[in-house]
Amino acid sequence: MKMNAVPRIPEQTPSLSRRTFLGFSAASAALVAFPALLSACSSDSSSGGKKTTVRFWTWYTQQKDEFPKLIAAFEKANPTIHIENRLFGGPNDYLPAMQAAVSAGDPPEIFAPHVYALEYGKAGVLADLKQELGESFLSDFFDSANQEYTTGGKQYGLGWMAQTFGLYYNPDIFARAGVQVPETWDDLITISQTIKQKTGLIPCAFANNPANTDFLFPFITQAADDPTLLLKLDAQTDGASWNSPYVVQGLQKMDTIIKAGVFNPNSSGVQTPQAEASFYNGQAAMMFQGSWGPQDFAQNAPASFVKLYKVAKTPALAKGGKHWCANQAGAGLSVSALSKNKAAAIEFIKFLYDPTRYTSTMNTTNSMPATKSAAAQVQDPILKDMTSWLINGEGSPHIMFGKGTNDAVSSAVDAIFAGTVTPQQAAANIQDSVKRAQGR
Amino acid sequence: MGTIAVATVSTRRRRSSSRTDAAIERRWGYAFILPTVAFFIAFVAYPFIRAAYLSLSRWAGYGTVEFVGFHNFVALTQDPIFWQALRTTILYTAITTVVQTALPLLLAVLLNAGWRGGVLFRTVVFLPAVVSFVVSGILWQMIYEPNFGLLNRALRAVGLGGLAQGWLANGTTALPAIMFVSLWMSLGLFMLIYFAGMQGINPNLYEAARLDGANSWQQLRYVTVPMLRPITAVVVTLNMISGLKVFDIVYTMTGGGPNHATEVLGTYLYSIAFGSRTASIPAIGYGTAVSMVVFVLAMGAVLFQNWWTRKARDERD
Repeated sequence: MKMNAVPRIPEQTPSLSRRTFLGFSAASAALVAFPALLSACSSDSSSGGKKTTVRFWTWYTQQKDEFPKLIAAFEKANPTIHIENRLFGGPNDYLPAMQAAVSAGDPPEIFAPHVYALEYGKAGVLADLKQELGESFLSDFFDSANQEYTTGGKQYGLGWMAQTFGLYYNPDIFARAGVQVPETWDDLITISQTIKQKTGLIPCAFANNPANTDFLFPFITQAADDPTLLLKLDAQTDGASWNSPYVVQGLQKMDTIIKAGVFNPNSSGVQTPQAEASFYNGQAAMMFQGSWGPQDFAQNAPASFVKLYKVAKTPALAKGGKHWCANQAGAGLSVSALSKNKAAAIEFIKFLYDPTRYTSTMNTTNSMPATKSAAAQVQDPILKDMTSWLINGEGSPHIMFGKGTNDAVSSAVDAIFAGTVTPQQAAANIQDSVKRAQGR
Repeated sequence: MGTIAVATVSTRRRRSSSRTDAAIERRWGYAFILPTVAFFIAFVAYPFIRAAYLSLSRWAGYGTVEFVGFHNFVALTQDPIFWQALRTTILYTAITTVVQTALPLLLAVLLNAGWRGGVLFRTVVFLPAVVSFVVSGILWQMIYEPNFGLLNRALRAVGLGGLAQGWLANGTTALPAIMFVSLWMSLGLFMLIYFAGMQGINPNLYEAARLDGANSWQQLRYVTVPMLRPITAVVVTLNMISGLKVFDIVYTMTGGGPNHATEVLGTYLYSIAFGSRTASIPAIGYGTAVSMVVFVLAMGAVLFQNWWTRKARDERD
């Protein structure tokens, strides 16, 4: 006889049906998830009694010491507002958190929009700052900084730190090699060979991990001698195509420089801190870097080097040509249109951009300001020099807002550095990739 | 008659009592599994169904979710980087699975042979397993650094400077360099699993094999390996699944570069969904479609493991 350990339960036994159990489980699941939803919703509201909370998210570590001081001063002047400062280590850490907050419909009241300002603005996530702050408030910002955050007559961000690029160099090594500051890219190739021969050092430190698209864009503007071309390419308007002669010319020039051995070997494996270290430790004579270089050098390089190094304009395509380079503000601030604490956020924005306070913040942190009034008072001689390039009209776009543009250009730059494609193929690949991305 | 009636009533009462007890027992059973089922629905089932829906949608993480049917999957078939990531993922999975199954087995056999200092060796080899993938990735990124990294410096110090190179910057060496780190991390754990499995093999089997004239290799081939088949199935499956869903170690070491040479499905879906490394506008629907491909591949690995385990059990029985 077969023995059953578990007694058979008659069918007519009154019991819980499987369907009822699953329904009950689903209700319990909702209860389990409810506290999380509740906490997500509650973060939009005030906390700490009657205080209004303004969450402030950036990755602007250059101001890591200044933000707490500014916040303390603001809270003292505005006792009903509490600023919750969250400073991320870098864009790689920041972006997923920011996007998750936006996806949840609960972005911070003030945050760095990165390249999403226009898309978020059009989707109703960001407040129109033209309406909130007025034209007169915005008129002090560089036109390029305002333009990059504007679409359809509305402005969705403010420049916090402006940017340009330059060729930082070590005058001692230049003297040892007997070379002069290069005016053109061809000059750069020539002096690089001399530096290598006479000193054995790396001519120019360069970080291409991740792909350094900032290096490619000036070539395209210089080839076209038209700072609006990149905007058209990015927006894919006026029939602009990445697979066009100016882009190919830009890629060709970049390819020539790479193949001439101007940069450190293995650039695609080198990150910015490593490239900077090889420059300020005297292993490289030059470094192509953004205007945040002085901040990094002030924080990390030996004091003797900080006094020594100099900066030259990004080389031009031909003698007497314009030294087109970047002029936008990759570091910006936007205000959430979804928060009920928007008014408090606007108050903090006005406080931060008070001309005296903003100028002081930028000077204290060796940062390039995005306003004309602060630009006129830059103290650091290197930054002062670089800021003058923006004012003198050699600036061009370097931040791409279009869907798929950055991915496509990054892949092309990587492929050129790896030597796996020709400039013509790279240009065609960018256009194909952008088209594919727009269909996603 | 009266006796029969009393007996019937008694039987009915017993049956009724038995039914009530069973019902109560059943309700308690449901009560015990309710928290698990509720958590499963909230944190696994619902997100999975939502992800499946998103994979059929166009959504950037904000604004409205637009249902596009199989558009994302069709677009995947025309996306060269997706194919590259798929190829790399399969290659990575295949190589790491073979190496991370065979090498730990061999080390476990050697350890089981009674090496002097075996405990110390076991501890040292196991140590990397307790370090997180992210920390290991960053650590090895520094070791592989082309100009100042430990590996190139060591090569130069012993006169092999010609071999020094940008290990993670070169499309040919980047993937093997990552695979080596994966092996470094997993070797100790899998070796221990095999070692534990070997303790369960009946020594009489080896004695019988020796009496039949089997040498060490034959004992390994015909006794150890067959007896460890269920454990090998587990090791292979763990390796396959971790290979198919690899992300952290690749992301921290190369981010999928250079030029997508180490792009795997995990890093590709992350960069599409969040646009974090190249600052692209996110495409969460498209990225989720990639994650569905990973899910199907991992599901295949699990089915394979079930089939293999069942086969091994049937053969043993």
